[in-house]
Amino acid sequence: MAAPSTPLRAGFEYRQAQEIRDAFARHGVRYLFIGKAGAILLGFPDTTQDADVFAERSPDNGRALVIALRELGFALTDDQAGDIERGKDFIQLKNGPFDLDLVFAPDGIERFEDAWRRHIDVEGFPVCHLDDIIASKAAANRVKDHDVLPRLRSFREYWMQNRSRRL
Amino acid sequence: MRDEEQIQLERSWLEEFEAAARRPLETRMRYAFIHTYKPVLDDAAYRAFDTLEDYRRWCEENLPDWLGYGRSFDSA
Repeated sequence: MAAPSTPLRAGFEYRQAQEIRDAFARHGVRYLFIGKAGAILLGFPDTTQDADVFAERSPDNGRALVIALRELGFALTDDQAGDIERGKDFIQLKNGPFDLDLVFAPDGIERFEDAWRRHIDVEGFPVCHLDDIIASKAAANRVKDHDVLPRLRSFREYWMQNRSRRL
Repeated sequence: MRDEEQIQLERSWLEEFEAAARRPLETRMRYAFIHTYKPVLDDAAYRAFDTLEDYRRWCEENLPDWLGYGRSFDSA
């Protein structure tokens, strides 16, 4: 197996999620945590490697996102900043203090605005509703999504039943 | 899977959900985010794809199957 060209790093931490939340808030970035990272924020006990962020695709939001990411320590070239400002569908960042996947058009979700209307706030972290996370994983239909879906759907039942108690 | 096995599995999931609900978010995150090296995927500092379809195709063509990024042919 080839040696990694990027240094190995520790897992994403709560403190880093706070840094994203705070930097994105300072610059008015419209985004939601999505994927398994989003489910984990909602209470789903599982493991994952990095954080996935669903960002609204608009020129203003793209510019704000670039400023916030640079402030967080992501070393973005001008070309890479251009990709983000244009909102390419999927961008993988491993050039900062933690790994971050930016998705502007997740499978299974029609528009950012729809997901925003349904989103859940967890300690100031904006998170996609579990139904959107499940829809996205079902539509992506990768082997790793397929493996997690039964347990995630079971968690959805538990979460819906217990949500009112926690809010 | 037999019904009894499924019931047992769902019971164990429920126990996990309840245990997680008792932990603060910071603790849950400490248990949840674990970084392990993923061949190919972790070998570049930056990648961008015009469409998700391009990304899915790239994963299928470049990543080892065992990473699980390939399309599932079972119904989800």
